[in-house]
Amino acid sequence: MSDEIENKTGYQAQSSETMNEYSGAAVGDIDYVRPAELPEQDLYHGHTFLTKWVFCQDAKVIGVQYFLTAVFTGVVGLILSWLMRLQLGFPGLAGFMTAEHYYQFVTMHGMIMVVYFLTALFLGGFGNYLIPLMVGARDMVFPYVNMLSFWMFFVAVAVLMASFFVPGGPTGSGWTLYPPQAILEGTPGSGAGILLMLISLSLFVIGFTMGGLNYMITILQARTRGMTLMRMPLTVWGIFTATVLAMLAFPALLVSSIMMTLDKVLGTSFFMPTILKAGEVLEYGGGSPILFQHLFWFFGHPEVYIVALPAFGIVSDLISVHARKNIFGYRMMVWAIVGIGALSFFVWAHHMYVSGMNPWFGFFFATTTLIIAVPTAMKVYNWILTLWRGNIRINVVMLWCLGFIVTFVNGGITGIFLGNVSVDVPLSDTYFVVAHFHMVMGIAPLMVIMGAVYHWFPLVAGRMLNEGLGKWHFWITFLGAYSIYFPMHYLGFIGVPRRYFEMYDSPYMTSAIGMNEFISLAAFIVGAAQFILIYNIIKTLKTGKPAGKNPWKANSLEWHTSTVPPEHGNFGERLPVVHRWPYDYSVPGAKEDFMPQTTPPSEVLNTEVEKT
Amino acid sequence: MDETKKKEEQGSTHKIGIYLWIWGLLFVLSFFSYLVDWYQFQGLLRWSLILFFMFLKAGLIMAFFMHLFWERYALVNVLLWPMTAIVCFVVLMVAEGKYTLFTRLFYFFVGGGQ
Amino acid sequence: MSEQKIVDYEFKPGFKGMAHDTGSDQTMFKGVHWGKAMMWIFLLSDTFVFSCFLISYMKGRASTPIEWPNPSEVFALEAFGVPVPLLLIALMTFVLITSSGTMALAVKYGYEKNRKMCGWLVLATAVGGLIFVGMQAYEWSKLIHEGVRPWENPFGAPQFGSFFFMITGFHGTHVSIGVIFLFIYAYKVFAGHYENGGKRGWFTTMRGDYVEIEILGLYWHFVDLVWVFIFAFFYLW
Repeated sequence: MSDEIENKTGYQAQSSETMNEYSGAAVGDIDYVRPAELPEQDLYHGHTFLTKWVFCQDAKVIGVQYFLTAVFTGVVGLILSWLMRLQLGFPGLAGFMTAEHYYQFVTMHGMIMVVYFLTALFLGGFGNYLIPLMVGARDMVFPYVNMLSFWMFFVAVAVLMASFFVPGGPTGSGWTLYPPQAILEGTPGSGAGILLMLISLSLFVIGFTMGGLNYMITILQARTRGMTLMRMPLTVWGIFTATVLAMLAFPALLVSSIMMTLDKVLGTSFFMPTILKAGEVLEYGGGSPILFQHLFWFFGHPEVYIVALPAFGIVSDLISVHARKNIFGYRMMVWAIVGIGALSFFVWAHHMYVSGMNPWFGFFFATTTLIIAVPTAMKVYNWILTLWRGNIRINVVMLWCLGFIVTFVNGGITGIFLGNVSVDVPLSDTYFVVAHFHMVMGIAPLMVIMGAVYHWFPLVAGRMLNEGLGKWHFWITFLGAYSIYFPMHYLGFIGVPRRYFEMYDSPYMTSAIGMNEFISLAAFIVGAAQFILIYNIIKTLKTGKPAGKNPWKANSLEWHTSTVPPEHGNFGERLPVVHRWPYDYSVPGAKEDFMPQTTPPSEVLNTEVEKT
Repeated sequence: MDETKKKEEQGSTHKIGIYLWIWGLLFVLSFFSYLVDWYQFQGLLRWSLILFFMFLKAGLIMAFFMHLFWERYALVNVLLWPMTAIVCFVVLMVAEGKYTLFTRLFYFFVGGGQ
Repeated sequence: MSEQKIVDYEFKPGFKGMAHDTGSDQTMFKGVHWGKAMMWIFLLSDTFVFSCFLISYMKGRASTPIEWPNPSEVFALEAFGVPVPLLLIALMTFVLITSSGTMALAVKYGYEKNRKMCGWLVLATAVGGLIFVGMQAYEWSKLIHEGVRPWENPFGAPQFGSFFFMITGFHGTHVSIGVIFLFIYAYKVFAGHYENGGKRGWFTTMRGDYVEIEILGLYWHFVDLVWVFIFAFFYLW
């Protein structure tokens, strides 16, 4: 490494005076922007294959690494869901499938999708790639720590995957890992499986903390000149707030993991009550299982918003760009994101209405849960009002956004059902819940991810993804997802419990058998349709249409880099200077229908731009 | 306005006296909280004294040793507001702990199950 | 980085200043070094870790019908043939606060670029931390000798031992990590890594600056801060 040190300062530090000359403006001029507070960032440029692509300190490469690893785990999660649906729709068809396997697949599917796929993809993948570009920074503020963050995540994934191959298999206690059953014999994977899961989660938290510090400090302390918080794209706001939530919520997961590990390994009884097993009293005694549930959901509820908020932010940007209209109520959107984030720490026990907690809590948590619906609904109205009278381009990205809005409203409304104690009690632990959370935090964020992939792929790879294939991908996924989850609401109403391996000949199930088969078939098709995207990406990388600069005619900084795809250091010689928010589309009086954030006021004197 | 400017100019160096003062105060406060145990105060008096000395010590460390007193409000507020979530968690867990104890005593000892 | 002058910016006091800083471009925490901001946010996250530990302890202790051992008796130490309650804990507190004081002074001298004083004070802090860890090891071995285990103890509720070993163990881990870094940074100060524009770091290849001592100090004071809470809730309550 030492021989590279001389070369590492690619960009010479400039004093504030020279920066001022560049902008060619003085105090009092309408184009004046304050000089830089900080000198240029000192960057480490890798030269060998190892430092350039493997242990790379460039946030964009790290973002892609995160993305690929998360997608890999996501594919594993997808295959697990296929196996589950195979069992549910056609019991006994897969001979190897025992009840133990089923529970293990349910658990791993849940944990992989929530933590290792969605969280890592949104914050690690999109966060790393987009934050420095969108706020106008050379890189993340601590590139080395950022690199460690990815490799910690990689090790966490490896440990998680290793649990498939240990004696007893992975844990099968449900993704919530509730003790006492999670670590007692009789639950599949209660030996090495649960231990590896807890270790993997702890590693994930440590790795994420390193990444999260980077995202937060980059957004707070390393924005470019003129970039105020209220001029940041909503994508950055969403990822930022989600990161804050993660930094404050993951500690609860870490603590509960440590305590459960001690229960398992040392025989402490933090979460373990006195247990009679086959007439014999186990060594455990005096612990409180409900404490685990509180700790878990103190993490778990913010986790829902860790997944949802980046999706909210990204979809706002996509809608605005592809409807050629400024986002309706930008400030309201920002405050809604922040408000949802803050409130998410006060709603956790609505996951525990039937857990036997203090009965008075139901009142408190139902109230806070319904309050959180207010900023969420505001966001939905704003998306729709952004579309209203916009110059909408019905391309693949827009289709995914529209799909998201519909799906999110759908999942959100069932959330209001479940937020009320009296409605939740009969519905909890039925397929209604499964339908609800898959709609609201499975399919809806996934739609945004897909839209974001089609939107930003030209930036990352310099080529446009195929629109025709994209439309096939969208319609199969959208209609298929509804075919899967709409009937599940009905299954929930007739009382089909979730987490059951097989319903056998339960009389009320007769009306549901056909529906279960239908759901399974739809699930196979939707899962397979995702490979259209992978095919599309591979094909595009070879033969795709070159995207050129700024193919969507977007305003935000990531499209205005010196090269496409952006190189290490992002912006070439000089960092951009920002004069406006990123939503000046279709401004009356302007020459073009978009106005990059770097456009100085003097160039747009006779237009009706928003004051930001 | 003038005061803040002075603060900025000073940067992070402060007179040594303030550190020695705080240092001494911390020893005295720790001694007091030790005395709470020495004299075996019980009940509400004990708990309130423990909390009082604890928060005072924590406040002094944060304000002066960690320089929070001299930091700008933007940083101070970012650090202190998230504590509301912790306070909420504490309050609810106090209620939950009492309720768990109640159910245990009621069902295991009083025999409310019958 | 820390010496850059902020040009053309009006520093307003109090909440007005907060609004002004938050609404400004480039940075929200004006003049705060990236690393320092990172350490603060990390400590905020770590606060949540310790809060969750202590909340769990509170919930566990509040909901056990078995009597909780009296810490005043459990942690008593024989001195000159008389059992003195919490003697060792009082000494540990004394040592930790002493080391916190030396750290605060080290930060001060670091900013004055007083290499010698800064280095010696960091070293003194490290030694204080080491003594603390040693005393904690003694405390643990004494309790283990008396039959306290993570899963049981002779004095009452078994959760007493579980929470004791877990929470003090986690705090002790923080102290130990801090001690290691204190020794490393004491070396770095003495070796002049922060002089003349700073020497590039081994791992990160970033230039050193005396602000690193303040960042380290923040961590060390936080460890002390956590001890204040553990002392109050575990030993006194």
